[in-house]
Formats: sequence, structure tokens, C-alpha cells
Amino acid sequence: MNFASFLFAQSLNALSQAAVLFFIACGLTLIFGIMRIVNFAHGALFMLGAYVGYSVAVSTGSFWLALIAAPLATGALGAAFERTFLARLYLRQDAGAYLMVTFGLAIILGEAIRLAWGAAPLGVAIPDRLRGIVTVGNQPFPIYRVFLIAAGALAALALWQFLERTRAGLLVRAVAQNAEMVHALGTDVRTVRTAVFAFGCAMAALGGVLSAPLVTAFLGMGSNVIIDAFVIVIIGGMGSFAGSIVGSLLVAFVQVFGAYYFEDLALALMYLLMLAVLIVRPGGMLGKEE
Amino acid sequence: MQRVALAAVVLALCVAAPFASPFTLTLLTEALIFGLFAMSLDLMVGYTRLYSFGHAAAYGLGAYATALTLLHFQLPLPLGILAGVALAIIVAVPIAWVCTKSTGVSFAMLTLAFAQLGYAMLYRFKDVTGGSDGVGGIPRPPGPFGLDFFQGKVGYFYLVIFCLAGSYLLCRMLVASPFGAVLAGIRENDAKMRALGYNTRAYKWAVVVVAYGFGALAGALYTAFAGFVAPELFFWLVSGRVLIMVIVGGAGTLIGPIIGGAFFLILEHQLSEVIEFWPLIFGAVFIAFVMLAPEGIWGLVRKFARAKPARSDAEAPRAAT
Amino acid sequence: MKQTHLTRRAVLRTGTAAAALLAAPPYLRLATAATPIKIGIPTVITGGYAILGTQVMRTCKLVEKTLGGKGVLGRPVAFEYRDTQGNPADCVRKCQELVERDGINLIAGVIVSSEARAIMPKLAEWKAFFISHGCGDGLLTTKEFLVPNFFRANTSAPMGARTLALYLKDAPEKNFIALGSDYAWGRSSVGAFEEQIKAVGKNLTDKIFTPVGNKDYSTYITKVIQSGAQGCYIALQGDEARSFYSQATQYELPKRIQLFTEIVAQADIRTLGKDSIGMLGSSRYAFTYDTPENKRFTEAFLAEYKEIPDWTDGEMYQALQILFAAIEKADSTEAAKLVPAMENLEITSVKGSVLMRQCDHQGENQGFVVKVAASDKYAEPIPEIVKIYPRQAITPDCLSTGYKAAG
Repeated sequence: MNFASFLFAQSLNALSQAAVLFFIACGLTLIFGIMRIVNFAHGALFMLGAYVGYSVAVSTGSFWLALIAAPLATGALGAAFERTFLARLYLRQDAGAYLMVTFGLAIILGEAIRLAWGAAPLGVAIPDRLRGIVTVGNQPFPIYRVFLIAAGALAALALWQFLERTRAGLLVRAVAQNAEMVHALGTDVRTVRTAVFAFGCAMAALGGVLSAPLVTAFLGMGSNVIIDAFVIVIIGGMGSFAGSIVGSLLVAFVQVFGAYYFEDLALALMYLLMLAVLIVRPGGMLGKEE
Repeated sequence: MQRVALAAVVLALCVAAPFASPFTLTLLTEALIFGLFAMSLDLMVGYTRLYSFGHAAAYGLGAYATALTLLHFQLPLPLGILAGVALAIIVAVPIAWVCTKSTGVSFAMLTLAFAQLGYAMLYRFKDVTGGSDGVGGIPRPPGPFGLDFFQGKVGYFYLVIFCLAGSYLLCRMLVASPFGAVLAGIRENDAKMRALGYNTRAYKWAVVVVAYGFGALAGALYTAFAGFVAPELFFWLVSGRVLIMVIVGGAGTLIGPIIGGAFFLILEHQLSEVIEFWPLIFGAVFIAFVMLAPEGIWGLVRKFARAKPARSDAEAPRAAT
Repeated sequence: MKQTHLTRRAVLRTGTAAAALLAAPPYLRLATAATPIKIGIPTVITGGYAILGTQVMRTCKLVEKTLGGKGVLGRPVAFEYRDTQGNPADCVRKCQELVERDGINLIAGVIVSSEARAIMPKLAEWKAFFISHGCGDGLLTTKEFLVPNFFRANTSAPMGARTLALYLKDAPEKNFIALGSDYAWGRSSVGAFEEQIKAVGKNLTDKIFTPVGNKDYSTYITKVIQSGAQGCYIALQGDEARSFYSQATQYELPKRIQLFTEIVAQADIRTLGKDSIGMLGSSRYAFTYDTPENKRFTEAFLAEYKEIPDWTDGEMYQALQILFAAIEKADSTEAAKLVPAMENLEITSVKGSVLMRQCDHQGENQGFVVKVAASDKYAEPIPEIVKIYPRQAITPDCLSTGYKAAG
């Protein structure tokens, strides 16, 4: 087993991890960037996506339908939540309020999922077309993970194009910079905010559905992933879309190679990385200093 | 007026303690420890607007440090607790220095990083810390000069309430002092304070260390109360909960978070007995507080008492800047 | 934008209601004719291990139902469930409440080993008796941690590892690699396996410990593949085990290397479905164990819950069987009388003949090796027993986690 082969195999592992992390992180960073909300419920929404995905996949027999339905449902829930609660807190400019409300949502969602789906973990099968392995330098690599990498890259590209090239994307970026100005120019800022929050939730849910075949849908998913999401977004730079890509890649590679060489430190690696980044660049790699 | 009312409450609790049922006393002792923990965070969150996602580190540091001193050195109980707090403060100094390099969300995430690192270190050095199992069987050694009053349930309750009252008074004094006035200034407008010539970084560093000190005291008291420590004490969920306690209680009031801490513990305990799906209610309570009672419990109490809009210390008239 | 604030009246109303709620005792218990024997069950109802707590509770409910009025010592049995969320601090608090406020001195159903470690030092002070059904950490019955009022009825991690090691002695594989979760139970299990596999003359080429709560096992799976080992010992539970197996199957790892697991859970088999077929492991309790005692239990369980009893169900049932036998023998529920009654107690339970050792309060259990196979009778694959080892062969030496005999 030569070194190049090993490097390539583990790099593919890292890329597949980065893809899943990206779906979670980009939603979180957009929500923060546009609305200055630290969304504590992001992990719970990820979990909700996995469970809804399970139900859709099992009842329709189609994983692909689950990929569409789960984000839509979660996005709708997010929009409703934003309208009912978050929008009312906007004028208060109080970070603590957002924290509490999203934390409350996280707790409620966690319990609601347990009540609705039960405590037993639920398996989501990989669709037949994505089963099996490809051999890369005589190492097996699951086709499903190739699909994950492709999905992640595609989503990143699409989102980037949307933000840079389309009018709606321009609007979103403008609201992040100066909401009042945008409002004065005639745009309904409230709709932009609701849309962004809904989108962030949908992305988290999509990450959840994509994760489900890897880890099964289980009750601890949400709290497990929320910390990772925060760390990635901080490393990349809160509010920076490009940062969420960079952060996901960095964290994934550090975790994969770090766990390989420094097994003892595996639990601490991500936080050591975050410390290192924050000390050198307090705003994150691509973020702005507060 | 407020002082008299508070003193009366403390006195009433002390008088009632020997007559309370054992479990009520147990629950109350733990509730007061939580209250102290929450109050320590209020110094950062309510008075300086430094949101921390890693205050569990203060609690955990105090708890583990005291666990090891009581277990291995058999120090008298009060000394063991003090030793634990001192150790925690020593560790807090460099941590606070690094964290205060940043502001806002970066600051919060740095505090989180340290708390999670602490969690990871506990697993790593399992020979000392007991790893995932923690350290159990921690004794309450008799106090100096053979004093064994604190070993009993009622005695320990008095110790806790004494520490809480003492800490509260110290914090009050700190907040009313010129140091506190600077903190208030930093909270309102950091840049302006810097323009006026204050080294705001040094002040923030100091308040974080002080907050860690009182948080560590809460952790130390918990160790001797429960007789064991476990890595869960460092976990980020604890940090999230104490932050909620502060906000639900009423940030920037010192008293509010104490009530918030006690309220949180008792609510969680009682609710989980009565309803199986208690987390649903729990989450709803938080949201209700934010939407309907943003000044927290203490804000409600003050409103009820005076039928005037409640003001936290944050909005009270400041000393001349 | 208008902000709503609570009016004084609203505050009064909600405040009174809240105060009433806080002061209220736990939900009503019906008075029974003969005072029931109460057993406290501080288990995981909400939180990460909720499924294990659900299983504990359903077995207790089944026992309560089948025992009925005659019960133990002529009294019915009643269970008091409390939610600890798997948190040692909460477990201590709930146990304190059970003991101090509700006057209960029998404790069972604790899930996590660290919870057990937190309450064990307090049992003497509480005059309480605690029997474990599922705490696997080998250290609980060693000199350093054992306390008189604690008994472990279940198979421990070293026992599971030992069972597999004995089985692998005759297996074709020679080189093994071990992968475990980096906390007390995982380390205990892998450590025990390492010792045992070497004792039977085989090699352990590497040990891998994965961080607690790990989700993506790709790095470790690749490492296992590259190790060239012929067999891989897995000490993972619950969410981690399922994640590992799902991903390992996706890498086609089971085709390249034989996987052995220390815990076989029916819940995982059900979730993994076809992917679990061929899994080989040591089972703490297998419902397929063919004795009249177990058949009775399994049939009653299936009739009540329409689900195959999992290892927690079987172990919990056995623990209760042992507890009731001791209560009958002591003619009392006092901890001080139960301890000598349970020492050297031998019963035939759903797992066969079990002896509660006097020297370290560890239950001597048989060791079961199972292989997961497809089934015509059930909708999901089932664990078929391939070998049973006598209890003397797999229970460690007194007060230790090791074995003097080579095996």
C-alpha cells in the first residue's frame, strides 16, 4: 500500500465528510450573515430532515423524493417559525433573545421527534443505483460517497452562482450589508429574511437526509452535529459563504488525517484548530472582524 | 429595601432548613449551587455583554480541582473548596487572556473551544481524571479544628447559602465600584471607552477571571455536595443551560440569575416527574419568556412589586462617566 | 412594533399555577390493597440512550403485569420510573429523591456505567440496594470500586470479550485488529479482548479507539482495511455501532474481513436489515436460547409487544428474577438482609443457570456466541446461537477483570 494511494483514499474520505458538513454549515453561516442570528436549532433541523426523509423514503419507496420533500417541509417550518417568533425580535437587537428562542426550538424539536417517531433508530436505505463501490488505487470507496461529493460540489457551485450572479442573490447580500438601505429602496426586507432562514433550514435538512444512510436517523443526531456546525462556521468566518466551504474542507481534512496520526487527540482536534485560527485571525479565515 | 427583603429570605431559609424534609433540602442545596453558577456568568453577560458559550469550563475546573484535593489530600472541607477555586482561577487567567483577544461571537466561540478542549482533556488523561467515569466517592473531610458541622445535610446547606450570600455581596460591591462602572461603559460602547483611554481588554480579562472564580466556587460546592464529578460537567450543554438561566432569570441583576438557576433546576426536576414529554414544555417556557417577559423572572417580580416598567441595572442611571 | 408585556393579573395567574406545579408531588399513584414492593428505576427516558430506557421500562411493565397481585412475598410489585437522561448528576438526584422522599430502597434499571459509579458510593448512606442489569464496565466489580450493596446480574464487557476470544481460538483467522469507543466500556472491552486473544495464541496487530460520539468512520474503516488483519473486533454500542456497520457495509468491509462484535442488539439488526446478516458476536442475551424458561418469557413478550426481546429486555428480566428470588429468600426488602441473601444465590433464569458470586457480587453467566441470519418466521434477521460457553469459563477471577486460566 503506497503512500500516494493512502493519501488519495483518505482524501476522498475527507471530501465526502466535507460535503455533508458543508450542507449544515452554509445554512448556519447564511442565517448569521444575513440576520445576525446564531441558530441554535440548526442541529435539530438537521435531525428533522433525516427523520422526515426516512418517512418519505419508506412510504414512497424513493430516496430521491425524500431528498426533495424533507428540505421543503423543514424550510416551511423554518419560515413559519421565523415569521411567528424571530421577526418580532428583530427590532430588539438582542443577541440573547435569538439564542433563547432558537435554543427553545431545539429542545422542542428534539422531544417532538421522539414523540412522533419513537426512540428506536431508523435506517434509511441507499437507493440501488448508488450502491456498491468503486476501486481507487486498489482501495474500495463507496459510490454513495462519490454521490455526496458531487452533490456538495454542485450545491456549492449553484449557491455561489446564485449569490454572485442573480438579482435575488444580490438582494440577499445587500440585506446583509445594510438592511435599512435596501428597505428604503423598496424591497421587502422581511421577505428576504424569512426566505433566507427558510433556506438555511432547508439546507440543514438536506444534510440530514444525505447523512441518514451513513449514520441512520437517531435521537442524538441534533446535539451531536450542532457543535461541529458552529466550529466550522467560526473557522471559515461567520457570515461568509466562501468561508463555509473553506471551513468544511479544513475541518474534514484535519479530522481525517488528524485522527489517523494523532488518535489520542481526535476529540480535541477540531477545537485546537478553531483556537489556532481564532488566535491568528479573530474573524475566521474569510470573515470580517466584529 | 431590596437588601432587607433579600436578607429576610436568606434568614427564613436558614431557620427553616433543619425542619425541611431531607429531599427538599437536597434539592434546595443543588438549586442554590446552580444559582451561584448562573450569577457568576451574569458578571460577564449582564454587566459586560460578554456572551460565553463555555462557562461550563469554570464549573468543571472548580469541580475537578476540588475533587482531586479532597480525595487525594484530605484537606478540610472549606480549605479543599478554596484550593479548588484557586486552582481554577490559575487556569482561568491564561484562558481569559486568549478569549478576550476577540469580541462578540468570536469571543463566545473561543470560550466554547476551551470548554470542549477541557472535556477532551478529561478523556485523554483518564488516569488522573477517571476518564468517562469521572471521580467518585469524594469525601467531605472534617473542617479545621475538628469542625464537622458541614459534613451533614443541614450543615452543608448552610455552607452553600453562606457562600452564595457572600459571593452575592462581593459581586454587588464589585458592580457598584468604579471597576463596575467601567464594565458598564464597556457594555454600552466599547469603542468609546477605549477612546477615553481605558484599557478595555484588561477590564474584560479581569471580569472573565472573576466570573470563572465564582463559577468555580459553584463547581467546587457541587463536588462536595454530590460526592462525584464526571466529564458531563464540562459539556457544552451545561454552558448553554447556564446561559439560559441567566437570561430567564434576568441578565444584569445578579439576583435574577440566582433565581433563574434555582428555577431551572426545580422546574426541570418537577416537570420530568409529572410529564413524560417535559422537554416540550421546557422549550416552550423559554420561548414564552423571550416573547412575553424579556426582562426575565426578576423583571417580572419587580414589575409586580412596583407596577412600573422594570429596569435592570443595565438601564439604571450610571455614575458620571 | 408593539411589544407585549405581561400584565400584573397575568403574572399572578401564571405565577400561582407555576407555584402549584412546583409544589405538586409526582403523578398520582393508586393505593393498593397490599402495600406493593416498590422498585426505583432511574433510567434514560429522554436523551441519547432513550431506546435502552424504553426497553427497561417495557420489561418492567410486563413483569408488573404478569406478577399481578400475588407477586413477591405475597405483595404486588410497583416500579417508579425516573428520567436521568444518562447524566450521572441527574441519576444521583433522582436516586436521592427516590430514597429520601419516596422511601424506596431498591434500585435497578440504571443504563450508563458512569451513572452506576456515581451512585455506588452513596448506597450505604442511603441504605439502598442496587442491582445492575446492563452496566458493562469491568471495573465495577473490582476491589477499587465494589461496594457491599451493589450486585451485577449481567454479563460484563470482559466476559463478552472472553467469550469471543475463546470462540476465535478455533477460528481460521490469526491476525486481529480491535476498534472500540474511547470511553470506559470500550476501553474495558478492547483491553480484555487484547489480553484474551493473546492468551489463546493469536495476534492483535493494532488497537483503534474512536472518539465518543463519532459519526464518520471512513478514516477508521480505511485503516482497518489497510491493516491486513483477518478479523476485526468491535467494541461499539448504539448509535456508534450502527453508524460503523452502515458505513462498513458501504465499503464492503465485511466481505474482506470478518467482523466480531461484543454486543449484539436486536434494535441494530432491525435498523440495518439485510446488511446485518453474517454479523458474528458475543450476545448478552439471545431470544433464540432454547429453554422452557426463556420460551415462556419470549412468548409473553412477543404477545404483549409484538417485538423480539432485545438484550436489555432479557438482562433486565433476569436481574429482576434474581432480585425477587433474593427478596423471597431474605423474607425482606431491607438492603442489609438482601446482601447475604443474594450472595451465592443460584437461579435458573432466561439465560440459563446464573450464580451470584459472593466474592465480588458478579453474576456468573454463560457466554453466547451468535451469528445473525435471515429468518422465515420473523420479518427481520435474528441472532442464531452458534456456541455456548459455561459460566466458569468466561467469568473473570474474583474482584478483577482478568483471567488466570488461559482458556
